[in-house]
Amino acid sequence: MQRALKKYFPVFVAPTGIAFTIAFLLPFVIGIYLSFSDFTTISNAEWVGLENYQRAFDESQGFTSSFGFTILVVFVAVVSVNIFAFAIARLLTQKLRGTNFFRSVFFMPNLIGGIVLGYTWQQMINAVLANYGTTIISKWEYGFVGLILLINWQQVGYMMIIYIAGLQSVPPELTEASEIDGATRWQTLRHVTIPVIMPTITICVFLTLANSFKLFDQNLALTNGAPQAQTEMVALNIVNTMFARMGQEGVGQAKAVIFVIFVVLIALVQLRATRSKEVEA
Amino acid sequence: MFNAKKAVAVLTAGAFALGGLAACGSDDEAEGGEGSVYFLNWKPESEETYKKIAAAYTEETGIEVKVVTAASGTYEQTLKSEITKSEAPTLYQINGPMGLVNWQEYALELDDTDFAQDLNDPGLALQGEDGKIYGVPLAVEGFGIIYNEAIFEDYFAMDSAVVTSMDEINNFDTLKEVTDDMQARKDELGIDGVFASTSLATGEEWRFQTHLANIPVFYEYDEEGVTDKQEIAFSYNENYKNVFDLYLTNSTVEPSLTPSKTVTDSMQEFATGKAAMVQNGNWAWSQISDIEGNVVAEDDIKFLPIYTGVEGEESKSINIGTEAFMAINSEASEADQQATIDFVNWLFSSEEGMDYVTNDLGFIAPFESFGDSTPSDPLAKEVNRYMTDPDLEPIPWVFTTFPSQKFKEDFAGGLAQYASGNMEWSDVVDIFVSSWASEKANLG
Amino acid sequence: MIEHAENAAEPLPEGNQTLSAGEKPKPARNGFFYVVLVLLVVVFIGPILFIVINSFKHKFSISSDPFALPIGDMWAGLQNYTTGLARTGFFEAILWSFVITVLSVATVVFFSAMTAYYIIRVKTWWTSALYYLFVFSMVIPFQMVMFPTVKIADMLHFNNPLGMVVLYLGFGAGLSVFIFSGFIKGIPLEIEEAAYIDGCGPLQNYFRIILPILKPTTVTVAILNAMWIWNDYLLPYLVIGLSTRYKTIPVVVQMLVGSNGNRDMGAMMAMLVLAIVPIVVFYLVSQKHIIEGVVAGSVKG
Repeated sequence: MQRALKKYFPVFVAPTGIAFTIAFLLPFVIGIYLSFSDFTTISNAEWVGLENYQRAFDESQGFTSSFGFTILVVFVAVVSVNIFAFAIARLLTQKLRGTNFFRSVFFMPNLIGGIVLGYTWQQMINAVLANYGTTIISKWEYGFVGLILLINWQQVGYMMIIYIAGLQSVPPELTEASEIDGATRWQTLRHVTIPVIMPTITICVFLTLANSFKLFDQNLALTNGAPQAQTEMVALNIVNTMFARMGQEGVGQAKAVIFVIFVVLIALVQLRATRSKEVEA
Repeated sequence: MFNAKKAVAVLTAGAFALGGLAACGSDDEAEGGEGSVYFLNWKPESEETYKKIAAAYTEETGIEVKVVTAASGTYEQTLKSEITKSEAPTLYQINGPMGLVNWQEYALELDDTDFAQDLNDPGLALQGEDGKIYGVPLAVEGFGIIYNEAIFEDYFAMDSAVVTSMDEINNFDTLKEVTDDMQARKDELGIDGVFASTSLATGEEWRFQTHLANIPVFYEYDEEGVTDKQEIAFSYNENYKNVFDLYLTNSTVEPSLTPSKTVTDSMQEFATGKAAMVQNGNWAWSQISDIEGNVVAEDDIKFLPIYTGVEGEESKSINIGTEAFMAINSEASEADQQATIDFVNWLFSSEEGMDYVTNDLGFIAPFESFGDSTPSDPLAKEVNRYMTDPDLEPIPWVFTTFPSQKFKEDFAGGLAQYASGNMEWSDVVDIFVSSWASEKANLG
Repeated sequence: MIEHAENAAEPLPEGNQTLSAGEKPKPARNGFFYVVLVLLVVVFIGPILFIVINSFKHKFSISSDPFALPIGDMWAGLQNYTTGLARTGFFEAILWSFVITVLSVATVVFFSAMTAYYIIRVKTWWTSALYYLFVFSMVIPFQMVMFPTVKIADMLHFNNPLGMVVLYLGFGAGLSVFIFSGFIKGIPLEIEEAAYIDGCGPLQNYFRIILPILKPTTVTVAILNAMWIWNDYLLPYLVIGLSTRYKTIPVVVQMLVGSNGNRDMGAMMAMLVLAIVPIVVFYLVSQKHIIEGVVAGSVKG
């Protein structure tokens, strides 16, 4: 059967493969080349070797510190989004009336995107903070909390949908058996449900990880890195290097490559770690 | 077995399908030998007018003029991707000497063009290190303190007013005395504060990190007789602080809330009569006139120079200059370059073109051909008044030599922290000096 | 899990009791759940309401009284909507957004599902390499490939809706193949083997057997892609938005920000409301299928 299918490669894989190559793969390879070049536009790139990579780590670039902040945001976001999404999914898989309504509402924030949304959040947070005579950019902690709130608001609904699918695939006999054995709800959750839905957790953690690392619009609109670039995440740092400074497009591109390598390593570690906990259902 | 023949056939068919998909929308620029113009505009609010101008020009000459507008705040990014396209902009903007460092390769020498030679002040042109002209301004603009004369008249009529006419306010000390007194009597004057709020929200700080900073940097350059510096001392920082503190303390809002305020907020406070003064430029006229609930009469809107307490400032006027320079794409075809030059000449020397520039775009065009004609809005008239006043000397715009957007944002961050009460002034000065040095070094 | 069996002798937590007592949970516990859910609804709906409310207020009132209801002096009627519509060419943008989103989503779903099926069923080194490339593309920030993508798109004359479809297939393939693969893995091979014995070729097999099973997943993937493409700003802005008439909604909304910080939040919020409506309708219509999908997914275990 595999053999019969194998011949159909041009039908099954070629269209996606070609589009993927045009939109992503080729540009990605060119992007790596550009990271070794000095350029204003991609038509006038000149090879400069590793210079961009050295400059990327200059103190004045703020690259390393934006890394630190990004890791903090990603860590807190991944943990909080997944806990909330899982908890809400549990709530909505109890036999309650109106779950469809609640699911729709919680999913709603995902439907809105873009920078205007970020401005709206900035306005709301500032309106609240005004009661205490301060603003979101006066301390980095405020910007950090604001960012975490926004990420949770946007992503919890999305992950919730996936968790619901996972939870509903847990055979009821399994949990019932556990209850009959006298396990508490907490024990059942820990020793039966979670191991069974581990593949779902893998997917959700990976998605939140990828989304949070790439975060850009929200960061730009909410604080744009203020105060003193203390709330600048890596994607924003890269874009600022390319557009807010002169003659550093190559440095920005080099940062992007470093960032990609880093994220891929993290993602691999995460996938390996959660996969190892998966059991056969 | 892998059927290679079949695979190749299907693959080719797929590729053709893709090619077909792609081809259907492409309009090749086969327009005979005549060139065409592609203008990448940087002022979203002028888009409609430019389109009108383009249509009029096409009607008159048959030359196609395409106007495309970059979204606000993304001009560099847009230009960088547009200029590599097969149909690249032929006319675009460079923002001063710093921008030229990046774009020189794409900028045509403009020394021989009519419009460059028609500049009423040749010093306004953007010159490369080789002394050649690569950019020509299409408008001069002015900024200072915009005030509402009606509120001042009310104040001057009060008992024991510090001064009784605007003419007496010609240095920082007087300005401060008047402002402090007005702030103390704000309820009697019916205002929330003398100055509209200082907008320090991110992306909204340019009135202070760029425009206000023009003044101390100008004096520093002037003192040393230079036009740019690799390292800055910010020696006039106390003067900056003088007026910045004045804005913060005599305002409609608490200083600690300024990092949430936007330019629109400030302009609205001014337009609705809640503040007597606001620092901004003549482009802000539309932001005053368009606001619903606008109570400021057109005749009452005037400019006051920004006084900072520098010796001899009585003879200085508002800040007049330009930051946007038109450049022509040197990589464009010769026909397109010529078409673009013709278009610009038409815009700035034909009756029709000049009418559009002055009355529709509202630009004060810096060309001989325009003579005395100026836009009819009150702030443009004020700029013109200051430009032609023989006793006063305008402060030129030197902020085009500021090293980068990154530098401006660093400084703005310091200002916001200072306003929030989280930072000492000396630290703000340190940021200014060190960020300037490192960003200038990065250019080298 | 039996180690703590002594717990069972103690008074059980309420939830446990209800479960062991029978299917019907107790009203008291449900009441608590509803309180939590309603609070969450407030949290999730709040910002959306905030946008809707402020879209009916005067610009000035938005910043001075952000949480107030649009009553009295603040009520701006439809003014923000009319200015927004007048300044953006919104209705044409809706049309192009719609065309691009529908075509792209259909293409992405159709081809990604096939690719995912192939990758899972044909086990060679290069299919797994391809799989990892797709997964890898999900973590790459767009800025990394932005300039080259725009350049290549221009060389291929992709500045039109059909060109965008190809680009979206390329960028959307990562997540879509990833999700489809996960579900296809769960489809038992025996189903297909039966079909093969009946003499079906791989194509017939795929379209007759696999695709119907994948239908619920398809709807989920379609929704995720639709949201992303509908709201995407940078790609359409850089590739098609500027020189052509095919401007999409996010592109025209951004044009409401003038130079010199002249940002009309009122009109922007009004346009945001209008932009949300179609996607919400689309979601509400298809969400029935999501639920079905979830149920169908649970059958396979």
